[in-house]
Amino acid sequence: MSEKMFDPRKTFGKAVTDLAEADNRIVVLSADSGKSSGFSDFMEKYPERYFECGIMEQGVVGISSGLATTGKIPVFCAIAPFVTARPFEMFRNDLGYMNQNAKIVGRNCGITYSDLGATHHSLDDFALMRMIPGVVILAPQDPNEIIDAVSAMIEYEGPVYMRIGNPKIKNLYERQPVVIGKGRKICEGDAITLITTGSTTAFAMEAVQELAKEGVYVEHIGLSTVWPIDKELIIESAQKTKRVIVVEEHYVKGGLSTIVLEMLNENEVHVPVIAHGIPHDYASNGSYEELMSYYKLDSKGIKGIITNFIKEDK
Amino acid sequence: MMNTEKIQYLEQVATRCRINVARMLRASGHGHIGGAFSSMEIVTALYFHKMRIKPDEPNWEARDRFLLSAGHKSMVQYAVLAERGYFPKDVLDTYGQIHSIIPGHPCMHKLPGIEANTGALGHGLAIALGMAMGLKLDGSDSKVYTILGDGELAEGSNWEAAAAAAHHKADNLVAFVDNNGLQISGKVSEVMDYSPIAERFRIFGWAVREIDGNNMKEVVEALDAVPFETGKPSMIIAHTVKAKGLKQGENQVSYHYWNPTVADCDALERDLLEVLDLEDEKYE
Repeated sequence: MSEKMFDPRKTFGKAVTDLAEADNRIVVLSADSGKSSGFSDFMEKYPERYFECGIMEQGVVGISSGLATTGKIPVFCAIAPFVTARPFEMFRNDLGYMNQNAKIVGRNCGITYSDLGATHHSLDDFALMRMIPGVVILAPQDPNEIIDAVSAMIEYEGPVYMRIGNPKIKNLYERQPVVIGKGRKICEGDAITLITTGSTTAFAMEAVQELAKEGVYVEHIGLSTVWPIDKELIIESAQKTKRVIVVEEHYVKGGLSTIVLEMLNENEVHVPVIAHGIPHDYASNGSYEELMSYYKLDSKGIKGIITNFIKEDK
Repeated sequence: MMNTEKIQYLEQVATRCRINVARMLRASGHGHIGGAFSSMEIVTALYFHKMRIKPDEPNWEARDRFLLSAGHKSMVQYAVLAERGYFPKDVLDTYGQIHSIIPGHPCMHKLPGIEANTGALGHGLAIALGMAMGLKLDGSDSKVYTILGDGELAEGSNWEAAAAAAHHKADNLVAFVDNNGLQISGKVSEVMDYSPIAERFRIFGWAVREIDGNNMKEVVEALDAVPFETGKPSMIIAHTVKAKGLKQGENQVSYHYWNPTVADCDALERDLLEVLDLEDEKYE
């Protein structure tokens, strides 16, 4: 794959802007967050469909709901905790309970706003959003998937939460359409099933390559949809490898690992599952690279966790 | 100018709607009567005089919208919707029952004619603003109406929406504050004083009028004058009496929520029937 790096926010904003040309239902809302969400072109091209509201995220979620009742497809992007934790009740009642066709996007997700500390980290957004019945959760893993996830979320009728990061990312694999609820098998293996989502997938792929050099063949499943979860793909793999590790830039509680554990249990697939992510505490501050290394979420850390798990599980 | 006969007719409708509330209370044994009765003239005037609606086509695209930001006043809307023919009055007898389509707080997926799932305070104004913005974008001349409680004003989210409504020049948005002065813990002025309400909204960029919200003529005249100013959202501060129409409950904080006996409901209905001219059906 090309080593060309893309800014996820600009990639996202451009994807929405491109779709807006043919689809005048698309409107963009900003809580002083539009330019930094990649919407500079949208503002210029479609000023009548761009609503700046200032720093009032809970109000913007409510306004999105009202706009959606008139047939618009509101897209609202801001820093992840401010569109999930902060306006949670508006998200739940006005978008979830009212089942409105609004698209809320949390950027600078996980610990990508590393140095700003715990106020700006979103390590509970999967957990919070999954508690709202009917909300789809997307976490595209590379630039092409961001573009395709935008298409999928606009096409989907109903509330969607999408999570994107901040540091530049590169394309990881051959482009496939994003289908809500479907993951992809990134590589086959028999030693363990590794499940990742979002930008973590890139670090995990490096770890998988290193492990292969040592003769450890990991089956890697990458999920652009966190919820609803791709049951078939995961169950089939777990039954084959007999052990699962979930790696995510999220708390180890309540996120993708919890979803996988619940799903396997409901389907009576009883295999050991390791949840690897950020411990359930307020994360520290520092550079993104340093923090990812500290929490063993970089490729080296992920490789080490998998190696230990396999050793202990023998 | 409204003629006297039309005003009298609307007053009669409001009384019939209060009887509908008595019917719901008789069925369930409980409900938020205080706010339902204080806002009865407003909601009656909206559905029987002002709003462009088709009761047999609740989702008609060109309709005006109404949502109760103070969703706990739901009985007022159910009473008026039933009276206006949105659903059969028998449904009123299911109030309080499991799976009723008229829950304590309105739900758009259960009852046609409900525009938003309200009940949690501080949500409705932002939703109404979004509706107003969407309608404007479509070039529609439909208006959006909502009612806030005066106690509800303490929710900060209202003020976010209030500022945004003025900023986006939503002159197709009309909000009422049902200013009955009482909330569940006591006087609004003592719980959290948001007076002067009119002045606060003016400062936020709204065109504001104050009326006696239980005086049908004043309600109708205010509604006929919106938008009060081009380019500004309209706010009607409706000075009302909590539980207006329930003799023992008027202006009593303890009647925010009422747990009446069947005999209480019968007595309320009798009192209301006394002021109702059953022959007056000329505007049907």
